[in-house]
Amino acid sequence: MATVVLKELTKRYANSDLLAVDAVSLDVKHGEFMVLLGPSGCGKSTTLRMIAGLESISAGDLLIDGKRVNAVPSKDRDIAMVFQSYALYPHMSVFDNLAFGLRRRDIAKNEIDRRVTSVAATLGLSELLKRKPHALSGGQRQRVALGRAIVRDPKVFLFDEPLSNLDAALRVGMRGELIKLHHRLGATMIYVTHDQVEAMTMGDRICIMNGGKVVQLGSPLDVYREPADTFVASFLGSPPTNLLSGTFNGSGLTVGTAHLPVARKGEGDKVILGIRPEDIRIDASAPHTCGEVLAVEPLGAETIVRFRLPAVAHDVLVRGPRSVVAKVGESVPLTFDLASAHLFDPVTTRRIA
Amino acid sequence: MISRAFLFIVVAVYTAFAAGPFLWVATMSLRTTSEISLDHYAWPETLHWEKFPQAWFNSNYSVYFENSLLVVISAVIVLTLVGAMAAHCFARYRFRINRLLYFVIFSAIIFPPQITIIALFQTLVQYGLYNSLIGLTLVYIAVQLPLTVYILESFFARIPADLFDAARIDGYPEWHIFWKVSLPIALPAIATTVILNTILLWNEFLYAVVLITDEAKRTLPLGIQRFMGDQLEDVGMIATGLMIAIIPVVIIYIFFSEKLIQGMTAGAVK
Repeated sequence: MATVVLKELTKRYANSDLLAVDAVSLDVKHGEFMVLLGPSGCGKSTTLRMIAGLESISAGDLLIDGKRVNAVPSKDRDIAMVFQSYALYPHMSVFDNLAFGLRRRDIAKNEIDRRVTSVAATLGLSELLKRKPHALSGGQRQRVALGRAIVRDPKVFLFDEPLSNLDAALRVGMRGELIKLHHRLGATMIYVTHDQVEAMTMGDRICIMNGGKVVQLGSPLDVYREPADTFVASFLGSPPTNLLSGTFNGSGLTVGTAHLPVARKGEGDKVILGIRPEDIRIDASAPHTCGEVLAVEPLGAETIVRFRLPAVAHDVLVRGPRSVVAKVGESVPLTFDLASAHLFDPVTTRRIA
Repeated sequence: MISRAFLFIVVAVYTAFAAGPFLWVATMSLRTTSEISLDHYAWPETLHWEKFPQAWFNSNYSVYFENSLLVVISAVIVLTLVGAMAAHCFARYRFRINRLLYFVIFSAIIFPPQITIIALFQTLVQYGLYNSLIGLTLVYIAVQLPLTVYILESFFARIPADLFDAARIDGYPEWHIFWKVSLPIALPAIATTVILNTILLWNEFLYAVVLITDEAKRTLPLGIQRFMGDQLEDVGMIATGLMIAIIPVVIIYIFFSEKLIQGMTAGAVK
């Protein structure tokens, strides 16, 4: 267990002017489950690979347990990594895959046997120790990859989208097991994913990245409730936050033809109103506007309705209860829960209120 | 059913086409030249097994065989190791002149041996390697290296990079990663190059005939040529010599054929 500190960590590839990772600073606490979340190409995997020592660091400092490790090779950083592709050695049995990292570390053979058997038992791999990876199912391979990390008992666990290759049902199961594992080991874990559900459910904190930079850092619910900019607002949450352009006039905010009682904040007349699908209600009592129903998606527990508002460019998504009855084409009254809505600057995209 | 029968006929015809000459030489190897000249295609009436020891001891075949074995085995060992290491580097490491070097090595393939052989002859004479088994071995290595690197590189390049990263994190230095990860995984491709190189070099004639003159340094293909005189060809003994030369190739092939097929079809299955 250890702390991991990134100080303006930067990665520039030799043949590119762009920074793959642009001055990322992050302070991962002892025993924390930190999720790096972002779309593909946002630099999250590169950041993880720099922590792992698989990519060189162009600028900035990386500290593991207070020691600067920029120039320390990965084998001496005492980290373990689980890869998206599992990266099991195809020519070795499950046992050898688990023992491979230990054999390099001057550990007695019977101690290796003991640790491999015990980890295999906790992960339900005891029956499979003699098999080769090609004779395992996806879920079993995933367990071996996980076991290979656990058996090393490293200071820091790194995960690079470890669940992406699993089918949906297995993914939910493994998600739960990883959370349990984190509680049991109490180890520092850094987890890269593009899946916001994984990030929300697993992370103690989420670090959202975009374009090589950290956009926002915080606990899952804080980030969800208080997105720093329109990117975070639209990236977190499914369906995403509705982002609607609006203009201030004398008494409030005008979005399309709707007039919303919102106090003016900051400079400029134009803003982007961000409102989550669950913060819009189908309600006839005192509606802010009416929307034309474009599509109805009943999901069982809830119903997603897609609306077109008069004179608004983007469709508006509303998350309603399962009892919602709406017909495509009809006009429905909508009420905005403005206390939970946010205003964003249309130029900088940062949140202003 | 009809398609299976058709397939069977095709395979049978092909087998006869491929195995026919082999069987013919095999029957001739047990007949004397005078018997052969009476009837080229007859089945041996008496099996002249004594021709084999005769070729082995009286016609110096034991020496040729030993020379061939020495040259081919050392060349194939060096080829496999150097080729695998080069291929590993070309496939794994990004460095400035990676592709340029690869192209230079590979471009050597386009020159037919007839073009390079005079220059090679002069070079070997200058370095005192002409008419020596070491010289011939070095030439064989140089000639077969590009193809070996080419075959192995394409295989190494298909090994997922994550495996190397995983091994690095597991604590292994690059050298160990080559021996413990790359090489065992690439075994099918390595078997392919081993067989290919062994068969090609075992049968190699042109370089050997130009670069070797001593009777005691001849390889098997040159030994067979010895039975071809200006006036007379000892066909019976040529056949016996051929059989002696073929047997190791057949053994190698039987031993490695499964790996060879794996190597050739690698990538076809995930």
